[in-house]
Amino acid sequence: VATTQENPLLEGLPLAQTPEPCVLVVFGASGDLTRRKIFPALYALAFRRLLPESFAVLGAARSEWTDDEFRTQMEAAVREFGRDEFRQDVWDRLAEATSYRPLEFDDDDAEEDIARYLAGVDEERGTQGNRVYYLAVPPDAMPTLVAELGERRAAEGWTRLIVEKPFGHDQASASELNELIGSHFTEDEVFRIDHYLGKETVQNMAALRFANGIFEPIWNRQFIDHVQITVAESIGLEGRAGYYEKSGAIRDIFQNHMLQLVALTAMEPPTDFTADSVRNEKVKVLKSIHTPGPKHVVRGQYGRGYVEGIEVPGYREEPGVDPSSMTETYVAAKLFVDNWRWADTPFYVRTGKRLPRRETTIVIQFKRAPHPPFAEAAAEELRPNVLIVHVQPDEGVSLAIGAKVPGVGMKLRTVHMDFAYGGAFQVEMPEAYERLLLDAMRGDATLFTRADEVDEQWAIVDAIVAAWKRDRPAFPNYAAGTWGPPSADDLLGRDGRSWRHH
Amino acid sequence: MTATAHVEEWTGEDVSLSEVEKALCNLRTEAGRDEGVPHMRTSVMTHIAWVPPGWHEAAWTTLEGLAERHPSRAILLVPGGAPGDGELAARVQVAAYALPGERKHVAAEIIELRLGNQRAKSPASIVMPLLITGLPVFCRWRGRPPFGERELEELTGLADRLVVDSREWDEPVADYPRLAELFDRVAVSDIAWQRTLPWRVELAYTWPEVGSCEELMVIGPAADAHLLAGWLRSRLDREVRLAVTPAEELESVAVDGRELSHPVEEAQGSSDLLSAELETFGRDRVYEAAVRATG
Repeated sequence: VATTQENPLLEGLPLAQTPEPCVLVVFGASGDLTRRKIFPALYALAFRRLLPESFAVLGAARSEWTDDEFRTQMEAAVREFGRDEFRQDVWDRLAEATSYRPLEFDDDDAEEDIARYLAGVDEERGTQGNRVYYLAVPPDAMPTLVAELGERRAAEGWTRLIVEKPFGHDQASASELNELIGSHFTEDEVFRIDHYLGKETVQNMAALRFANGIFEPIWNRQFIDHVQITVAESIGLEGRAGYYEKSGAIRDIFQNHMLQLVALTAMEPPTDFTADSVRNEKVKVLKSIHTPGPKHVVRGQYGRGYVEGIEVPGYREEPGVDPSSMTETYVAAKLFVDNWRWADTPFYVRTGKRLPRRETTIVIQFKRAPHPPFAEAAAEELRPNVLIVHVQPDEGVSLAIGAKVPGVGMKLRTVHMDFAYGGAFQVEMPEAYERLLLDAMRGDATLFTRADEVDEQWAIVDAIVAAWKRDRPAFPNYAAGTWGPPSADDLLGRDGRSWRHH
Repeated sequence: MTATAHVEEWTGEDVSLSEVEKALCNLRTEAGRDEGVPHMRTSVMTHIAWVPPGWHEAAWTTLEGLAERHPSRAILLVPGGAPGDGELAARVQVAAYALPGERKHVAAEIIELRLGNQRAKSPASIVMPLLITGLPVFCRWRGRPPFGERELEELTGLADRLVVDSREWDEPVADYPRLAELFDRVAVSDIAWQRTLPWRVELAYTWPEVGSCEELMVIGPAADAHLLAGWLRSRLDREVRLAVTPAEELESVAVDGRELSHPVEEAQGSSDLLSAELETFGRDRVYEAAVRATG
């Protein structure tokens, strides 16, 4: 479909934002991510006619599959993980545009073959040399693949590179990868995925702060006592021992999702919602984060325990895990953002596996009213105001306020005002990957991380990990199904505060 | 989507608005009694529906399919529905919907007010005390709006958006110019226009061939056909002849004798169509131009 200027019938139609013609090439297409996320997302986009009319998908991976075998696998994945009803006509359209090539990532001949094949797709489907390369490959395959792709750029059309996490394993390796990518691609061609940024509620943090005049004036050290950010998982390893043993909680969640949530909570209002304006503000926050000392970081590893009434093994008993593993499955930290807005306001963050429930929340705890004119007994049930942004599950926002208990006398209690997304907007929320894939095809990098953000995130993590080398904690130090090691409670207890538990 | 958890209802004959408000408040408390707290109200609008007696059943059916998607306050005004000229009869419902996968319930409120003939002449004064402060007001007008009459003038004066379905009119082409007179006063949307959306998408896909279209042939309701023709004329800035073969649903569209493939989207129910309109804010200039070009 032509642009609105060329085709006047497009004006006002929901088709107007369809991306330009392109080929999406998924490297690592036989992996779990392609099955669970990428193809279900593509199907959802096809279902809503959000894919361009001239479009093709090429899967490439080591598995020796044929086109038909790949399509069969992806159809099963869409049926299992898709959020929409399965419609044969929609799938047929997507399947007809889908093909597969077996590939060793360091095989020059195979890469040449793919380049020739893509040129043929351009001829056949009118995809104009436009490419979206999705690198869903292990970290060790990334450098070779980036170099191969960089050397074989199509003569015409645009190229975009979607890079999955983990982006390096420390600051040095991330910088090396950034440099390699930078030698072949410009920054606006690179889309580093942090799928948390594709979540509606994370984006709603920007809406909450910058579309409402009431919050921004009090969004600072003068009114906020502290911030708590929790990314809790109730699951264990789910077969990812190989990856997790190397990454641990700090690289799996803290380095990316957690620090992005801190940045979104603490950033200054951007001048507009374009990619660079938003990312400029986030990177300023990341640069301002004071490296936490050893006393401000707690790590943990779960032992045997109970989750939802079922006994689960400890981390060291999980299949594929070293029985004496020192990998952390829990991290809590007290962070300070050293700038005018946040000086001396702690950001307590925690993430862990096998915690009592799956929950991602951002809790803004305000300072107490300076002088409540009530008798102490009347207000003993009264807690400080808290604004809770529920990222998952139960997406929404709650505000805890003090209210008078009906009846004679002045007795106060804390009550919650809830805004549930599902209550006000009963529409199905798009999966993060749908939004991110579409944005990458459109060239909008607002919800992707920039090289300098990644660099700053790793700098913080490297400093924490360096301190860890000097001691050897007694793991396991928390039971599965609890809120982490007791030292995490002490982290706040020393400041006269406590984690918000339900 | 969700299942109704609980419906509380109150009815009264010859009532005052303050009795209605009090009943509403009591029902909200009653509806949440099992959980010990009232259900959440996450209202996004007040939805007024002007429902002449012949449309009563259809309006309730639509609302029942809509309430869980737009858990707001719906006020059904039934003119001539009360026994006495100056009377007001009411039926108030608070329905609590469980949110899928969540522990919370959301409350939707429906207030049906049957107005005696006298009361029906000044509906704004009846509705105004019941509007949710600070939220947009949508007014769904069932059947043909009485253009120029006081009740329409009053309700369009307080609504942010008027929603009609020109399929419900006997002579849509004759009435479109009257509807167009409202455009500068209130944002208007038309469910008939919403129904043509999949066909407009198909027509847009035929660009650039459709750019030189001379004749549109439609098998379907007159309203849909004229809106499609008006849309093509206004977007392409050229005369397009229209040939209509009447049918209950939009069955076929052909451009210069070439039939379009049928859209893949399934036909939507009345609740889905109204729901889509209730998510639209501001003026739809493309629709307005299409209406003006129907003649």
